[in-house]
Amino acid sequence: MTQTIINDGRDNMQMDAARIAAARKLIERLPVTMRPGLNQQLAAWDSLFPFEQKSVSKFMSGLQAYEPSALETLTQPLRKLEERMGVAHWGFSESQDTMENASMLARSEFYADWRSEVQRVFAAINAAAHDSTNAIPKPGRLILIVLPESLPVAPVNTWKAWDKRAQVLKINGDARRLSELCIHGRPDRPGIASQFAPEGGGQSADLWLIDADAHLKGSLAPAERQAACVLSYAVLKPFRDKFLADVNTVPKSIEATDQTLAALRHRDWEPWWPAELAGQTRLRSFIIDLFLSGNGALIFSNAFVEWAASEVLRRARPRVIVARFGFRAKPKPFTGIAIFENQQRISTLPDVDDPQGSATDALILARYTWLAALRYPEHEQTCCLCILEQQNTAYVIAPDGMTPPWGTDHSPTPEELSDWIGMHLST
Amino acid sequence: MDESRRTLLKATAALLVDQWAASRLGALSADPSAGAGRKVVILACGGIRREDSFAESGFHNIPHLYHDLLPQSAFYPFVRNAGVTSHYNTVSSVISGNWQRLDDWGKTPPSSPTLFEYLRKRMGLRQDQTWLISSNKALTSKIGASTVREFGPAYGANVIFPKQLLINAVVHAAAEGRAVHSSDRSTVQPEIEAMLNGDNYDGLGWAVGGDTSSLDVLTLGTMQKAVEDLVRSNAPVTGDEFTFLVATEVMRRFAPSLLTITFSDMEVAHFGSYSLHLAGVSTVDRLVYELWAQLQSLPAYKDKTTLFVLPEFGRDLDGSNTNGFFNHRQNSESTRLTWMMCLGDAVRKAQIVENPIEQTDICPTIARLFELKNLDLPGKPMPGLWL
Repeated sequence: MTQTIINDGRDNMQMDAARIAAARKLIERLPVTMRPGLNQQLAAWDSLFPFEQKSVSKFMSGLQAYEPSALETLTQPLRKLEERMGVAHWGFSESQDTMENASMLARSEFYADWRSEVQRVFAAINAAAHDSTNAIPKPGRLILIVLPESLPVAPVNTWKAWDKRAQVLKINGDARRLSELCIHGRPDRPGIASQFAPEGGGQSADLWLIDADAHLKGSLAPAERQAACVLSYAVLKPFRDKFLADVNTVPKSIEATDQTLAALRHRDWEPWWPAELAGQTRLRSFIIDLFLSGNGALIFSNAFVEWAASEVLRRARPRVIVARFGFRAKPKPFTGIAIFENQQRISTLPDVDDPQGSATDALILARYTWLAALRYPEHEQTCCLCILEQQNTAYVIAPDGMTPPWGTDHSPTPEELSDWIGMHLST
Repeated sequence: MDESRRTLLKATAALLVDQWAASRLGALSADPSAGAGRKVVILACGGIRREDSFAESGFHNIPHLYHDLLPQSAFYPFVRNAGVTSHYNTVSSVISGNWQRLDDWGKTPPSSPTLFEYLRKRMGLRQDQTWLISSNKALTSKIGASTVREFGPAYGANVIFPKQLLINAVVHAAAEGRAVHSSDRSTVQPEIEAMLNGDNYDGLGWAVGGDTSSLDVLTLGTMQKAVEDLVRSNAPVTGDEFTFLVATEVMRRFAPSLLTITFSDMEVAHFGSYSLHLAGVSTVDRLVYELWAQLQSLPAYKDKTTLFVLPEFGRDLDGSNTNGFFNHRQNSESTRLTWMMCLGDAVRKAQIVENPIEQTDICPTIARLFELKNLDLPGKPMPGLWL
């Protein structure tokens, strides 16, 4: 059964009802607290990114490989812990992760022990799987962060260091051209958009453009748009406004919140999606998950960019992320007390930009984007290039073996820098 | 701060407390000289990391705490929150001296007696002698009294949520489709007065002794309307500022023996704005300083009050999978290790007390200050204080 869903190296693996049912049977062999996340992934199989599908399949393969007695021995400490925690009396959901599940686990005095046990069991089962991905070459990756000219970001020498390998490069030319050069390329040098266009069309999860505004989508030619997952805070405004209004109806009760959030997840949002997302079911599902997971993604554009990038890194492990930060408005004189509300709806006072506050926010969130990448092994092949347009400067973290060829006495042109990036990505 | 705005808020806070007194106490007099003995004020603010406060990288965010108050305080740099790092559980743990593991959103009361109950039962204090005034919408009135049979609501504190009522008003206005657009503050105060003097107004918030369901309807209906009018005034305001003003008004009129205040402006961090989070930290810094000045100027408090100032917890580490400063649920030193400052009556001498303590040590310390004996509490009184 699970032979058909183990990692076979293909993207968009298919799962019919019989295979899902068989996988659920396998999950029942696990302790209760390990089940909801896996069952939820199976239920949303078509919304998973290829990386997630492969991860689940690999885990199932490992689980299947475990002899029942060996699995019993492996999971015995976790089952004992669940008994001590009283999980059987919690009304614990096995079908999906819920706030109530999370809340009950987090307030248990055994929470830290539980976390480490779950991690141990996951690691052991994964290790039992035959992993064909080890033989796959590890290609170059890029995180390109843009701090646009309008943001008065503090000088680099005052920053908290992102990484001991970081280098600062003064750009000989207009730094504002860099992101477009990288994405769109030049007539004789293809940019990353065409480089990552999936063969035969289809939707790629390898290239993400995440934008506080609606700037990045303009750098794509119509034919290139299919290649990228484009998330624009500005373009999503009608959807965001409606979604935020509905989220704010959530009552102050964990049980009711779970019900309301589930309803929001499955609601028909068709009238509010932007035309750019027509037919992009998986991307739409990702956006809903993103907004339901909080972290300010519905409220502030820079939080949206950072949290989206973090979730993309966790779920899709793309080759390239371009993250462009931007502005937020100042909290309004009175309604700012309810910052979670749509300020434009509840106050007719005009928005006033907060450049200094936006720059402070963008800088720490840009750093968080890189720190999020460091949590995954792919960071070893990842180059991080943060462009400070106002200072005509690039902050570069190159992976081992890819040191920038320019010393402190040479400032690369935007073309030289984008060519260097292109060379890294072609490895 | 804009003086006209401050005046408006002060007047509003005074009205709210007046109205509460009239409607709740009836014939009872609110005598500020009551409780001539020691007094304690606990000021807990949400999550603040050490690196953003008492560290080289954070001193500039807390100029009053660092320059003005630290030199006269007993300062505890190593205070551990070993419980559930959510707001309701943490504040419940501080005031009960036991680590509480309750529904995060305050569905159930603390499972062991609170200081409010100990004080009221053992010392025979009236309800207006113990208050909890909170900015934090994660708390509920259930925090004012425990589920313990011998104690409970009959010995609970008054619990009020000024900021939450302002928020409710804004949300209510939005739900009704009314955008905020007026900037004419001069018309606001009479409107608020009219609202607060309405027949159905029964106090600002929820008193634990009352029938909370009917009180909610009466209170909130009137308050929402009243505060909507304040919204229309376009008065710039933060929730903590308003909570502070209500708290100082309560001190003036009732001089409670035990007052707990919680601030939450810095919790805007959950929405991902670091700059607004730091602004919230600076607001706390200023309000603590002003609170201390109030305690020195009010006869009922001067020279007999001990002020405890503490963050509830820190915030998560940069780079954590819980998204760093946004949240406070990581099992890390960044989240669990925080600080506390004690000022006033019980401070033996200005000093930094490096002995590690836990937040559950605060309750037995305060119990000792009030000479409450034989309480079954796991913590131990803190060093560095006259007890």
